[in-house]
Amino acid sequence: MAASNCAVEPPRVLLLVPARTYRAADFLAAAGRMGLDLVVGSDGALPLGGHPVARVSPGDPAGSADRIMALGRRFDAVVAADAPMLTLAAVLAERMGLPHNPVDAVIAAADKAEQRRRWAGAAVAQPAFRIVPATASQDALRRAAAEAGFPCVVKAVSLSASQGILRADDPAAAAAAARRIRRILAAARRPGHEPLLVEQYVPGPELSIDGLLTGHGLTVTAIFDKPGTPDGPTFEETVLVTPSRLPRPVQAAAIATAGRAARALGLSHGPVHAELRIGQRGGQPRPVMLELAARSIGGLCSRALRFAGDQSLEELVLADALGRPAAAGRPAARPSGVLMLPVPRSGVLRAVEGRGDAIAVPGVTGLNITIPVGRRVQPLPDGDRYLGFIFAEADTQEDVEQALARARERLRVVIS
Amino acid sequence: MTDLAAQVTAALQRSVLPSVIARGATLRVVAVDDGVATVEVTGSPGAALPLASRIEAQVRAAVPEITAVRMAAPGREPPPRDAGSLAEQARHVLDAEINPMISVHNGHVTVPGADRGLVRIRLEGGCQGCSLAEVTVRQGIEPLLRARLPGVAGVVDVTDHEAGTQPFFSAGKR
Repeated sequence: MAASNCAVEPPRVLLLVPARTYRAADFLAAAGRMGLDLVVGSDGALPLGGHPVARVSPGDPAGSADRIMALGRRFDAVVAADAPMLTLAAVLAERMGLPHNPVDAVIAAADKAEQRRRWAGAAVAQPAFRIVPATASQDALRRAAAEAGFPCVVKAVSLSASQGILRADDPAAAAAAARRIRRILAAARRPGHEPLLVEQYVPGPELSIDGLLTGHGLTVTAIFDKPGTPDGPTFEETVLVTPSRLPRPVQAAAIATAGRAARALGLSHGPVHAELRIGQRGGQPRPVMLELAARSIGGLCSRALRFAGDQSLEELVLADALGRPAAAGRPAARPSGVLMLPVPRSGVLRAVEGRGDAIAVPGVTGLNITIPVGRRVQPLPDGDRYLGFIFAEADTQEDVEQALARARERLRVVIS
Repeated sequence: MTDLAAQVTAALQRSVLPSVIARGATLRVVAVDDGVATVEVTGSPGAALPLASRIEAQVRAAVPEITAVRMAAPGREPPPRDAGSLAEQARHVLDAEINPMISVHNGHVTVPGADRGLVRIRLEGGCQGCSLAEVTVRQGIEPLLRARLPGVAGVVDVTDHEAGTQPFFSAGKR
């Protein structure tokens, strides 16, 4: 047998990291643990002479792809660390001949109105909805809301993290919500021609499903219950707890719905994060799609998850992108959860006191405050950030919730 | 794997391994000889080597037959005995090659010290609390120092990022 003196090179991954993201550290840690040869593409990072950092712009996918291709390097996978880089990742993977989502599917998944249209075409269960053009009159908006049915939810189609989402219980409230959301869109410098989405409010438990799409369908990595999700008028996410306590048949139906929703958008590869509510039809629970994103769960929430071999969710995403079999399906042995700290009121953040007391609560495993002191903050639906994240792990989901709640009670947020 | 090695592995899994993994490295027991366990660090050395004394204490408490734990980062030359000079060398490299670049983002990096091949760095100004700080450290500072200074096994970021008041980029929930 001939001996080979060729060293085995680690897989090379192009990780696209937007400047404003929570996700950079966890993806870099995952890549480091996996021993990957990492090249970072970013619109914010500086090339510092160590490992390569390539300049890309999520607003210019074609030009950015040209610059990356001009590097002349072979990549084994392209991964977007967060939402702003999803389209560029798809464009690049297509040009490199790597498995990828169709570009138009990624774009569709980032537009809540287009999601609704495609799901309607594929008979995916979702709330009744109307898409209201930017040029529509107040009367037209009130009519659309009435057709969707009260109470309804008025949504910006391009924002995320519950920003620009308001419940309305009557026509006047719907019109007022639309005016307010238009102001939020203007402040966020979104194009003025964006439509608004008006959809029926679905009462019932809310959950999120994270998974990886492969040729075999959706492999679920985590189902989070969202106890305490508000009924409106704003919809800040607060507590996520896994594994879900919903009945198994309901979970299975929700997974099937999320899988159909992803396929209806044209998605076929990589991570998805779906949000659903469990409504009722004929006295039976019926999962309906709220939203779906072609990425893993946002913020620092993935830190609540651990998988077989102590892998992180980011390791699963990177392994999946490299074509390694998804080893999901065995999340952390103990129930875990995360609490996203909402901004309680507008003003300048002066301090978050009581951190030591909060972290000392039994079961609490972590606390990260992610807005710098001195920054101006706004609550939802105007703001787009949470103050931080509390993590907990315990023997039961109830204990996780209690630990998170106790830790939150010990924090004193000073805003003036 | 020998029984003792398996016991050391189990002790690591029960104690420090999750936090090491979360910081970007992993540990593997490669040998146990005469009561000395050799633990290989892969991934980012700076994520594991600062915990060496804690790791040794926990392994010794869990497996009484173990008298010492030796941490090994593959492919690295042993660090120089003169740790002070390593810090000075690291400061020189950072001042010459990194600080001029990150000053563009109102950032600055200092070296509070170095010990056993680990360079402790503190990010300031625009880098403190920046959402891309980890990219700066793991794709810029750590590989550059390891390339320039053979005695560097890794970089430990000791910055209190939550105390940063002027990060160049701050994160938003997606």
